[in-house]
Amino acid sequence: MIKPLPMKHVLLQVMTDDLPRVSLTLADLGLFSPDYRPFEEENFPIIPGEHYRELFHQASSRLEKIRRNIPLREPLELKDIHVVGEEELTRYNNWLGTVWERCSQFEETFRELTSEERMVDQLDQALDNFTALNIDLSLIHGEKHFLDIHLGMVPRDNITQLKEAVALAGYMLFVYMAHGDNDHVIILGPKSEKEKEIVSVLDTAGFRPLPVPAELQDEPERVRQDLLDRKQKVLTERKRQQDDMSACGDELRNELETAQRILIMAEPFVTLETAARSSGRLTVITGWLPARAIKRTRKALTRELANPFCLETRDSLREERHLVPSYLPTGKMASPFHTLVKQYGIPRYGEVDPTILFSLTFIAMFGMMFGDIGHGLTLMLLAFLLRRKLKSFTLLGISAGASAAVFGVLYGSIFGYEELFHAVWIPPLSDPIYMLTAALLWGIGFLTLITFICIHNRFIEGDISRAVFDTNGLISILLYLSVLWGAYNFYASGSFGITAAILSLGSLLALLAYKLIETHAPPGERMLVAFIETFETFTGYISNTLSFLRVAAFSLNHVALAIAVFTLADMMDTMGHWLTVIGGNIFILVLEGAIVTIQVLRLEYYEGFSRFFSGDGLEFKPLKLNQRGTA
Amino acid sequence: MTAPVSHTYLNTRAAILADRLLNEQDLSDLADQSLEHLGRDFGVTDLLEEKKSNAAINRAVERALISTLMHELSVLLRPLKGAARDVLVHWIRKFELYNLKALIRGKLNQLTYEELRENLYDLPALISLPHQELLRAENTAELLRQLEKSHYADIARQARRVYQEKNEPFSLDATIDQRYYAGLLKRARATGPEDLKPLMKLVGTLVDQQNLLWLLRYRFGYGLSPSGTYYLLVPFGHQLSRELLKKLVNMNSFQDVIEALPASLRERIGETDHIMDVEEAMSDETCQKSRYLLRHSDSGLTRALAFLVLREIDLKRIYAIIQGKVLKLNDNLIKQGVGLHTLAEGGTS
Repeated sequence: MIKPLPMKHVLLQVMTDDLPRVSLTLADLGLFSPDYRPFEEENFPIIPGEHYRELFHQASSRLEKIRRNIPLREPLELKDIHVVGEEELTRYNNWLGTVWERCSQFEETFRELTSEERMVDQLDQALDNFTALNIDLSLIHGEKHFLDIHLGMVPRDNITQLKEAVALAGYMLFVYMAHGDNDHVIILGPKSEKEKEIVSVLDTAGFRPLPVPAELQDEPERVRQDLLDRKQKVLTERKRQQDDMSACGDELRNELETAQRILIMAEPFVTLETAARSSGRLTVITGWLPARAIKRTRKALTRELANPFCLETRDSLREERHLVPSYLPTGKMASPFHTLVKQYGIPRYGEVDPTILFSLTFIAMFGMMFGDIGHGLTLMLLAFLLRRKLKSFTLLGISAGASAAVFGVLYGSIFGYEELFHAVWIPPLSDPIYMLTAALLWGIGFLTLITFICIHNRFIEGDISRAVFDTNGLISILLYLSVLWGAYNFYASGSFGITAAILSLGSLLALLAYKLIETHAPPGERMLVAFIETFETFTGYISNTLSFLRVAAFSLNHVALAIAVFTLADMMDTMGHWLTVIGGNIFILVLEGAIVTIQVLRLEYYEGFSRFFSGDGLEFKPLKLNQRGTA
Repeated sequence: MTAPVSHTYLNTRAAILADRLLNEQDLSDLADQSLEHLGRDFGVTDLLEEKKSNAAINRAVERALISTLMHELSVLLRPLKGAARDVLVHWIRKFELYNLKALIRGKLNQLTYEELRENLYDLPALISLPHQELLRAENTAELLRQLEKSHYADIARQARRVYQEKNEPFSLDATIDQRYYAGLLKRARATGPEDLKPLMKLVGTLVDQQNLLWLLRYRFGYGLSPSGTYYLLVPFGHQLSRELLKKLVNMNSFQDVIEALPASLRERIGETDHIMDVEEAMSDETCQKSRYLLRHSDSGLTRALAFLVLREIDLKRIYAIIQGKVLKLNDNLIKQGVGLHTLAEGGTS
């Protein structure tokens, strides 16, 4: 598959009552992508299901919050697929509301217990502090005739401001201990009508009183024991609450999973949003379907709907091509490469999908740069052993390893040893110039292919002038190839060649003329911009071609690194020799493996994709039954 | 970018953006324009043509204006990093705090999801709270639990006191405002020596404006004690120093406070016992200082912040003009509303 599947714009007219069933049927097929543009708003002013959507979002939010406390199985097996009516959704939403209320109470209790735990901890620290002091604690307890005393803690950030504020009321603040984010303080002042005022300030400042028991000095052990009991009580209560929550989860899990299934079945209708509009009993739904799925969709709707419906299709219009989703069904084999392509972007509808080209060239270039049977097989083995973690990327690892092994056979290298068997093609270091030439030819081929894809994409978009004249157009590639031809003539016979010169000059002038016409600026600036852009087009091709020298450079680097490892190993005794060889090979595998991967991706993205692939296409996101759970 | 390069970039950007600021004549011209014309300028033509509700138009205009401010902020943020960047990002967080206040107050007053949503600004991700999650909180306790896990934990604690101990909700707003300006001050103090002095002057002016209004409101509107009022102020200012603030909170009448202000402020405020007049005078003072710093400061960061302060004031005025047009108010009334007294009285030129 080298292009997104052909798509049709769909206008589906159904009875409003059938809408939930239609959405469920379309989701079950998993091929309909809604078109959210307004469609005949005057005739179809209503967007159906507003209340339903609100119920759904509330229920989903509740379920998500409940799942933080009661984990559910994933993925869910969907059974009894049916249309979820508003009544059923309301019932489950209300039920989820009561369950969340229970969970929320648990959360609140846990919060209170944590707060109590922190308080006990602060008190514990304060007791330690007071035990060490030789003061009569009874003095700070109870009502005093002349003094108003407050003992407690305040968030540290508030201390300075609070100290100045209480000073305005004639009070003094002393910090006697710091613990966590809080400072423990004593605030005291003369008894007066300002007592209430100070309480209000302390309250605003986040002051929390610390009830230090007066008996601390006389019966420190008993006070300690009280504190320990309090701590123990918190722990016991936390354990009890956790058990209760766990029991609550066991009791409700099955029903919660049913609720989740209900939400999964309700989601397609919610997702339709503005793609469905109604007027009285008639509703229209707009969207995109792969052309090959029209028949299947019509059949499924005929089977599921009791009332008549009308399904009209048309090709996409030129002006709406950028709104057509790109549907690129990928098999298991292409999946990891597709993921890497998606990192760059989604091809526009009609553009060439670069996944296959990317897969082949990625594997080939990785092998060329990392050619070694031993390293390749090790990579394959590692990818296989780590298949659970790598998931779909296992195949990428195995392919890259296999390619490295194949090039290892061509280069005659196994774990860096080049004398164990004869190279089928060439040991890279035996003729570096040959390797560099091969890399250059590879680069020229790659760039030429990419440019032709770019030209094709522009023709598909109907942008003929850019396809012919712009950078990466027909004239550009003519300039590139004619200059290369001329350069080859010069290298082979000492002369550039008249035909090559005419082609080069002609294409260069054509390119310049186009840039002059296309640039909208005052004459001087226009000339300058056109000259610079033409020059940039030409130098861009040259520099991008030279970029491919790295393919050969890394194959040479690979051998050179192995030589360095063996030179070091030969300086050791037997044990040291083998340890160095093993360590060196691991080093090459990890470090060079990573660098080569990055370099190949760089070549693909920057020398390849950036030329023909805008990456701003719309991903095909069909209505479907989301079995992992609702968003 | 290296420091001198970023400094030059910021200065140039601030100078270019300064051309967008409106003078009285610009505002008057805007007030004379039709709603359709204004709609075109701010990209809400569709809404006007579709004859949407006044609330929908106001929200769309508000969104467009905030988006303008955010775009200009992003341009100014480009060369900045570290403490300088923090200052501008913190300044714009005021919109997030408006939302936070609306959320907490809304939950305390048991407003519904829709009612609450209507009262929130649409903000970009850079400064946006996790609104959906907070909006979906089903009661105040749940909202507070969520906030306690965010970087607004201290505000959540204050809100919990309001909620549990039935304190006056204004103490919550006061704490939020105070934390905001204290945060701005803290970030301004962390900037480099080339920015510190002029920036502190600008931040001090902003803090002065807030401090004086808070002081008058808390002392004489809500009847708070001197110490309670002082605790809710930011103990720093350009003209209202810490010591002066201590003196002012101990005064027993509105007039005494105005009398005790530095001469320049006292003259600007004039004889009044209305807090609205003080607010207007302090806003004029902030505008004047900001304009001066935007033109003459050597610090790119200060110029950038001064521009944002002035731009926000301009955008609020534009919003007021459009609101007035939507409500079909008389042009002169609209001009008065945005502070164009002379032009409103004498007609437009």
